[in-house]
Amino acid sequence: MHWRKLLRILHRDFGYVAAGLTIIYAISGIAVNHIRDWNPNYKIEKTSLILDSLPKNATQEVITKFVLNAVGETRELKNTYRSSPYELEIFVEGNSILVNYLTKEVKQEKVNSRFFLKETNDLHLNKPKGIWTYVSDIFAVALLFLAISGLFLIKGKNGIKGRGLWLTLIGLVIPLSFWLYYYL
Amino acid sequence: MKKLVLFLFLSVLLASTTYSQEGVKYGKKLTLKEKTPISELFKNPKKYAGKTVQVEGLIVKVCEQRGCWIDIASDKEFEKIRLKVDDGVIVFPLEEKGKNIIAEGVFEELIYTKEDLIEQGEHQAKEYGTKFDPKTITTGKTEYRLKGLGAIVK
Repeated sequence: MHWRKLLRILHRDFGYVAAGLTIIYAISGIAVNHIRDWNPNYKIEKTSLILDSLPKNATQEVITKFVLNAVGETRELKNTYRSSPYELEIFVEGNSILVNYLTKEVKQEKVNSRFFLKETNDLHLNKPKGIWTYVSDIFAVALLFLAISGLFLIKGKNGIKGRGLWLTLIGLVIPLSFWLYYYL
Repeated sequence: MKKLVLFLFLSVLLASTTYSQEGVKYGKKLTLKEKTPISELFKNPKKYAGKTVQVEGLIVKVCEQRGCWIDIASDKEFEKIRLKVDDGVIVFPLEEKGKNIIAEGVFEELIYTKEDLIEQGEHQAKEYGTKFDPKTITTGKTEYRLKGLGAIVK
């Protein structure tokens, strides 16, 4: 078999396996690229309200039940924490509630993970570690193979010496110019 | 081919189930046998500075953007310590807030000048889109924190 034909077969099959991972990395790449502008993993909804009253001389447990009832929170209670003499934090599945005894203000912070995006970001940033590290290493090597083999798939009239050479150079010059611009 | 895809999928699923039963592990494996109360660290900071300690407590705050730090409640009321981890090495998800953690890290004493604090405040204000008045900083301060190495959240 001619080497170029073999290269095309390998390029195609590696391409099939890498397609799913490439999509995941591309989507989350855009998402985490703008981490300063938005939270790519979570939707955080912050609200605040002032209660008319709070139970006087009551235990933490009673106040917790009262506040959860007042804000209509029915999800599972995880824990509570006194952050200061006049503040109580109530942790519920997906919600953190801060109660101020003095002002009777109740601040809620509801957290919902962004479906699909959070999962892709976790994988992109190698949060799982362990075996995933090696899976993504193999994927990186596969991408390297796809990039290099892609240069030689179709010979064309001038091979890599014609238009292909200039386009490849453009691809190298773009990151290099930015690096020079920012760091020199 | 169908069997291979199914086998891969089921293997990963099985591995993740075993993982979750032990609690969620972050970073390096815990090595110390004894826990140090957080209040003890604040009481005798010089004794523990630079040493690796194991602490246990409730996670009361998590870094929203990168999951690169958490605050752990102390055994003493109204006290907490920050566990800072290297960006990307360990990432704490927001869902861990309100759960118990056993963590190991190096106890650090950080001395900030007034200028350091102003720079820090301005940087944070820019990052979180909040307001910061440099006049509120009148003096430097010493902060204690843990440089996180590994943890188990249950």
